[in-house]
Amino acid sequence: MRKNARAAAIATAGVAALLLAGCSTGTGTGTTAALPDGIPDTVEADGDTLTVWVMQDDYNDETLAAINERFTERTGAEVDVQIQQWDGITTKLSTALATTTPPDVVDIGNTQVAGYAANGALLDITDYRDDLAQDQTWLSGLEEPATVDGTLYGIPGFAGNRAVIYNKTLWADAGITEVPITWEELTADLDALAAANPAPDFSPLYLPGQHWYVGLQFMWDHGGEIAALEDGEWSSTAGSDASLEGIEAWKEFQNAYSAESSRTVSADKPEQEQIFADGKAGAIIATNGAINAILNANPELTEADLGTFALPGQIDDTQPVMLGGSVWGIAAKSAHPDLALIWTQIAVSSDIQVDFVFGGQGLMPNSEENIAAVAGDLGETKIGFFDAALNSRATPASPGWTEVEGANLLQDLFSTVASGAATPEEAAATYDSKADEALN
Amino acid sequence: MTTRPRTGRAFAERRLPPVLLMAPAGLVLAAVTFVPLVVMVFMAFTDYDQRSLFTGEFSFVGVQQFADILTDGDFWAAFFRTIWFTAALVIGSIVIGVAISHLMTKLGGGMRTVVTVVLVFAWAMPNVAASLVWNWMFQPGYGVVNWLLTQLRVFGDMTATDWGANTGLAFTSIWLLVVWQAVPFIALTTYAAETQVGPEYIEAARLDGASEPRIYRTVTLPFLKPTILLVTILSVIWDFNVFNQIWLVSKGGPDGSTSTLGVFTYITAFVGLDLGTGAALALITALLLAAITSVYIRHLIRSGEDDL
Amino acid sequence: MSVVRRRRLGRPSSVATVIAIVFCAVWAFPTYWMVKTAFTPRPDALSSTPTFLPLNPTLENFETAIFQAGFFDNLRSSLIVTVGAVVFAVLLGLFAAAALSRFRFGGRRTILVIVLLIQMIPGAATLIPQYLVFNEAGLLGTYAGLILAYVSMTLPFSIWMMRSFFLALPAELEEAAQLDGASTWQVLTRILFPLVLPGVIATSVFTFINAWNDYLIAYTFMKDQSMYTLPVWLASFTSPLTGTDVSGQMAASVLFSLPVVVFFVLLQRKLVTGMSAGAVKG
Repeated sequence: MRKNARAAAIATAGVAALLLAGCSTGTGTGTTAALPDGIPDTVEADGDTLTVWVMQDDYNDETLAAINERFTERTGAEVDVQIQQWDGITTKLSTALATTTPPDVVDIGNTQVAGYAANGALLDITDYRDDLAQDQTWLSGLEEPATVDGTLYGIPGFAGNRAVIYNKTLWADAGITEVPITWEELTADLDALAAANPAPDFSPLYLPGQHWYVGLQFMWDHGGEIAALEDGEWSSTAGSDASLEGIEAWKEFQNAYSAESSRTVSADKPEQEQIFADGKAGAIIATNGAINAILNANPELTEADLGTFALPGQIDDTQPVMLGGSVWGIAAKSAHPDLALIWTQIAVSSDIQVDFVFGGQGLMPNSEENIAAVAGDLGETKIGFFDAALNSRATPASPGWTEVEGANLLQDLFSTVASGAATPEEAAATYDSKADEALN
Repeated sequence: MTTRPRTGRAFAERRLPPVLLMAPAGLVLAAVTFVPLVVMVFMAFTDYDQRSLFTGEFSFVGVQQFADILTDGDFWAAFFRTIWFTAALVIGSIVIGVAISHLMTKLGGGMRTVVTVVLVFAWAMPNVAASLVWNWMFQPGYGVVNWLLTQLRVFGDMTATDWGANTGLAFTSIWLLVVWQAVPFIALTTYAAETQVGPEYIEAARLDGASEPRIYRTVTLPFLKPTILLVTILSVIWDFNVFNQIWLVSKGGPDGSTSTLGVFTYITAFVGLDLGTGAALALITALLLAAITSVYIRHLIRSGEDDL
Repeated sequence: MSVVRRRRLGRPSSVATVIAIVFCAVWAFPTYWMVKTAFTPRPDALSSTPTFLPLNPTLENFETAIFQAGFFDNLRSSLIVTVGAVVFAVLLGLFAAAALSRFRFGGRRTILVIVLLIQMIPGAATLIPQYLVFNEAGLLGTYAGLILAYVSMTLPFSIWMMRSFFLALPAELEEAAQLDGASTWQVLTRILFPLVLPGVIATSVFTFINAWNDYLIAYTFMKDQSMYTLPVWLASFTSPLTGTDVSGQMAASVLFSLPVVVFFVLLQRKLVTGMSAGAVKG
């Protein structure tokens, strides 16, 4: 009886082991389909279907239709586009990419791509880099996180960053006539705004304490880094002297120009766009998606009431901004890597980038050349974002970065400092010990 | 074993019928619950992670995994937090639920229907929707709860209070949300049982001159005991593993101070995709929960089986 | 005399009524606030001084919600999956509970303990193992797979819940019926099952809510967006990029909650009458 039980236990353990290992079909990280030598101009793939996963609100229907139309012309294959929600996407993508029938092309945030790349979920596309780049110089903030140990796993799709959005009427009422270029001009303008709007809940520049993207800008401006890579090991460096200086500057600025109630809150509870739209803030720091959110929140505002500029730096001309955005990855286990390469090549081509990604959606294109090509068409609600992007940085290309973001470590770091619950040294020490664990 | 004629054997002694009755549920549980559980237990002894998902590579770490968890200060902090928060949730929802059930017996038909409808509405609201409503009601700057509390002029200006950013407030709003949704099930189940208390017992006690509270304590409560026991143990199990509400309100923050075992496991398994450790955590959680509830489980299993 | 009569009939007391009114006001408020916001135009909803009545009621938010991509597809998926899960969890639970409560056989307590232990394991840890098993079995991306996942999630509770209803029935029932010549199957279907109807209803309600509510399993296990369920549709109202439309979100929450409310209201009456009927017969 006991022997039987032991045998049964061993057998079930064996089955479990097979099941866990079995997902990869034994071929390691490689794909089962044959890879082409270069990206072909055309292939005969009538009847095949390419599955593409796109994150909600990243690309609109027109952009996707334009890509698909060109794709079908070149290949004869159909495209099945599936829009995915943000909540739970890590689980969804990790499990789906592990199966033998994964989506072929996936849209991944540039801060998340390193994890999938380093762990073997995505196809190594280093050999196709030139074919995909099509003579463009990709923005480094998009390409770097998708590059692990010199191997490329992602293709830049579009960029997004933060800049100051300001309420022209309020600024004019405060007697400000020109957009600030230097830190001194900025603080003088914000002081003028504060003087003109004495209400206690008014913020010259509303800056939620958990808005870590802006916190990082201060850190970078003062020469600090959030993490450093040495001999293949990541270490979290919020506690370095330069980083601490930046955190101190963040606190000073936040406390001086944003209402006290904003010290502990996040940028979406309450939404800073709503506060801005209600006239309770002279400016906010947000991505270009915020423009629409503001206009939706207050129908009396029009685009002509809004302006944008890059936040001046205390050290640099403009503060370095975190370059967000999105890259295309191809599943390592895709059955159609050739079709996936062709589709992606179209999606990142100048044609699509300039006419649709920028022209139709107002997003920042993926390369320096494409940005230069659209520079003449920038209105006042776009120019600030493009200016700010000229000095941009990326988050650490560590697979553990997803966990740092997912566990809200940065929110805690910057909000505890802003509220005075911890000194910069204390908060940085707490953060570093947790982030060190996550990064490696 | 001798075969007796069917009519000669007591119904409860039949051998084949229970096997046939159990078979469908047994098969389904074996295939869709038990097999994954075996996989999970196996995983708990390995370093299975996101990379393993894609490559199928992992190695055994054995009991070291459990040793690491059990010596992790964060784990124990989360564990004790879970214990007292579960206690607060269970006590809160049981006391209010049982009280409401008794209240309903004192109401006229019309008012009782109103209470029932109100309870059903709270119960029926899916917890995804309830959490959205909570976030909206408690939103700093625009939330109605902050506005109401400010109008009371007791707590000062609470307009901009962020409930998720303060440990005490975060727990309070999560407690309110969970209790709000838990009370209807408890109240309605208890009420259903309370309507079956024989009126003759109560009448007899009344004729003996017993006071209303005394009648409730000596007649009604003993009758309700099995029901209350069942809903209590279910509440303990559910509240111990409560996750959605905490995640949606505070994400375990600020600084991990509302991170219960459920949140801790979720972050390990789904944010870090450290599946091996997540599985080990889940096993430990289940064992601790089983140990805590073992006395009651024995009681629950024994109760009501006396006739058999 | 009149005092005694009043007590005997359990006439409502005014103190109880007052307490009940306060309780109702508190407990109904979140529901009311959801509905009120759903009927408020978006720009009015977010105001720092809330209005407690929908002064300019609008249906606009519901329009937005219904025409949000996928509502009808996902509603259909939700109905298929939820009804499937309820039917299976209740039927299988009913049979198993009958076996575990009306028959005496070795190992039944062990089975009960195992079933309860399964309930104690956090769902977060079993999701990926279950995904891997379902992947091997070809169940991913199918309604059948999702139904099975929900059945496995709710069956343990379903068994326990219905067992408690079976235990409340006196053992003499079966013996009496057998003397009348009824077979085991007849005893079960004609006598026992009808008597645990309240248990069946309570269990269906529980299973319905669990299946209707789930986000992560539906989102991870299904491949085609038209086969997602309503919680996934509901999540599309929360966008980290373009901001959350609170009015639209609340309108969507109302639409999402409505079928559950209807299901409850229909069954609630049966639940109560079923129980009192059971009490009379028992």
